[in-house]
Amino acid sequence: MGESSHRSRSANGRAAALLLVVALLMLLVFRVQVGSAEGYSLSFKSALAAVGSYFGWGEGLGASPQLIASGRFLDGVTAALVGAALGLSGALFQGLFRNDLASPGLIGVTSGAALGAMLGILVIGGMVDGFAGDGLGVMPAALREGPLAVVGLSFIGALGCAFFVTILASRGGKISVPTLLLVGVAINACLGGVLAAAQDVLLREEWHLAQALFSWLFGSLTDSTPDRIAVVAGGLALALIAIPFVAQELDLFAEGEEMAQSLGVATLRTKLIVITAASMAAAAAVAVAGQIAFVGLVVPHVLRLTTGTRHRTLLPLSALGGAVFLLGAETLNVAFLGANALRPGIVLSLVGGPFFLTLLLRRRREVSSW
Amino acid sequence: MVILQAAGVSFSYTESQDVVSKVDFSVTAGEVVCVLGPNGAGKSTLLRILGGLLKPHAGSVELSGKPIARFTAKARAQEVALVPQALFSLPDLSVRDFVGQGRYAYRTLFRPEDEADREAVERALSEADLQTLGARSLDSLSGGQRQRTLVARALAQEPRLVLVDEPTNSLDPRHQIQVFRVIAGLGCAGRAAVIVTHDLNLASQFASRIVLMDAGRIVASGSVHDVLRPDVLRPVYGADLAFGQMRVDGWGEDRPFVLPWQQ
Repeated sequence: MGESSHRSRSANGRAAALLLVVALLMLLVFRVQVGSAEGYSLSFKSALAAVGSYFGWGEGLGASPQLIASGRFLDGVTAALVGAALGLSGALFQGLFRNDLASPGLIGVTSGAALGAMLGILVIGGMVDGFAGDGLGVMPAALREGPLAVVGLSFIGALGCAFFVTILASRGGKISVPTLLLVGVAINACLGGVLAAAQDVLLREEWHLAQALFSWLFGSLTDSTPDRIAVVAGGLALALIAIPFVAQELDLFAEGEEMAQSLGVATLRTKLIVITAASMAAAAAVAVAGQIAFVGLVVPHVLRLTTGTRHRTLLPLSALGGAVFLLGAETLNVAFLGANALRPGIVLSLVGGPFFLTLLLRRRREVSSW
Repeated sequence: MVILQAAGVSFSYTESQDVVSKVDFSVTAGEVVCVLGPNGAGKSTLLRILGGLLKPHAGSVELSGKPIARFTAKARAQEVALVPQALFSLPDLSVRDFVGQGRYAYRTLFRPEDEADREAVERALSEADLQTLGARSLDSLSGGQRQRTLVARALAQEPRLVLVDEPTNSLDPRHQIQVFRVIAGLGCAGRAAVIVTHDLNLASQFASRIVLMDAGRIVASGSVHDVLRPDVLRPVYGADLAFGQMRVDGWGEDRPFVLPWQQ
C-alpha cells in the first residue's frame, strides 16, 4: 500500500488545488448572478461581462445594473478572502496545538474582536448621542467613519487578546502550548462575561446599540468596500507569507516540541510566527465579517483526510478551501433566500454544527477504545 | 577525541529535589556508552541535557569545545541527534519521508532539498538495514522496523553524537538484538552513541562503557566487567539478581550477564 498511497495523496493535493481554484472562480461569477435586496438575478453571461468590466475589460452592463453587479462582486471577494483567512488560520493553529479541533477562537481571537467591536460601537454610539445637538458636524463624520472604526477596534482587540493570552502562557522566554490553551479558555470566559454584561445593560438602556452589537456578532458579508477588503486581504497576505517559514516546522511539531527542537527547529521562533500569522489572519477576518464559526475547523479537517497532513500542501489548500467553503455557503444562502438571506455567521453555525457533531461521533469510537 | 563534555550538571523540575545532581559526563569518538539505572534515576533527563534540549540549572555542557547553549538549533542538530522511545508522527509519511526529516537541519528557505540530502537519506536507510522499506508507510511497520526507522532519521542528521532513549522497550528478543546491532554500529566513523536502557544484558554485549545512575547521581562508570558486578549493582537494584558469564560471538571474551532472580 505504502508508495501508491503517498503518490495518490500528493496527486490528490494538486487535483484538489486545481478543483478549488476553478470552483472559486465559478463561485465568484455565481455570486454576481444572485442578489439579496436588489431582487433581480443576472444570467451567467451578463455576470461574467460585469466582472470583466469591473477589471476594465469589455462594455459591461448598463450603469445601474453594473453598479449592483460590482457591489455583489466585492461581497463575493470579501467572502472568499474572509473564508481563506479563517481556513488558513485554523490550519496553522491546529498544527501548532497538534489538535485537529483547535481554532482561532481558542486563544481569544474571536472574543477579543467582539470586545473591540463592542468598544467601537459604544464609543461611536456615545459620540453620536453626545454630539447630536451641538451642530458641529461631528455626528455625520462619526457615522461615516463608524463602520471602519469598529473594524479597526475589533482588529486591535483580536490581536491584543491573542498576544495577551500568549504572554500569560509564556515563562522564561518559553511559550507553553498546553498553558496557552488553558489561559485561552479562562480569558474567553472572562471576555464572554464582559460581553454578556454589556449586552444585558444595552438591551435595557440603549436598544439601538444592542442592535448594532448583535448585528456585528452575527457577521456580515454585504456592503463590502475596498477599505474592508484591504483589511482582510492584508491579514491574509501576512499569513500566506508565513507559510514557507513554518510548513516543514509544523510537520516536525507533530512529534512534539522536544523532538522538533532536537531535529533543529527553532521552536520559539516557529511558535511566534504561527501565532502572529494565524492571529493576524483571523483578526482581520473577524473584524470585517464578525463571528463566523467552523470554517477554520471544518476546512483543514476535511483536507487532512483527503489530501494528507503535510503542512506544505495543507496550509495553502486550507486558504483555498476556506474561500470556496464560505463563498459557496454565502452564494447558496443568497441564491435560495434572496432578500431574506441569513447572516453568514448563522448559516455557518447551522451547517458547521451538524458537521462538527458528526466529527465528534466518529472520534468517540476512537476515544472509547482508550 | 572528546565530542561532548558535561561538568557538574544539575537539573530539577521542582524546587525541592534535583533529578540530576552534579553529574560529570564525557563522550569520546568511537564510544558506545550505555546509561543504566533504576526508574527515576534521572537517565532520560541527563540524556536531554546532553542533547541541549534541557538547560541545566548548574554546570556546563560543551559540544566540540563550545557551550551547547551557544549553538543555533540547526547547528546543534547537525552535531547531536536524539532517538526517542517511540515513533509518533504524521500518519501518512513514508519511511523515506520520515528519515528525510533528519535533513531539516541542513535545509534553508532557498535550498529546499538537494542531492546531498537524498544521498544522506539513502545511506541512513542502508545503515539501519531499511533499504527495501523506504516506500512503506510508517503505520505498516513492525516494532523493530519502527525503532530502526527512528535510528535512521537520527543518522540522516549526520551527527557526531547519537542519543538513544530506551530503544528496546516492548520489542521481542530478535528485534532487540537487531536494533542494538544497528545502534552499536553508531560508535564508529568518528561518531559516538549514548544509550539509556534498562536492559543490562544488551548493554553487556554492546557497550564499550557503562555508566550507572541512581537518584540523579552517577554511582559507577567503567567497562562492563567493572560495573556489571554484584557489589556494584546490588546496592542500586536490590539483592534479587543472579550473575553469570557467557561467551559473546565475535568478542573472544566472556561477558557478564545479569538476571532478575529471587534470592
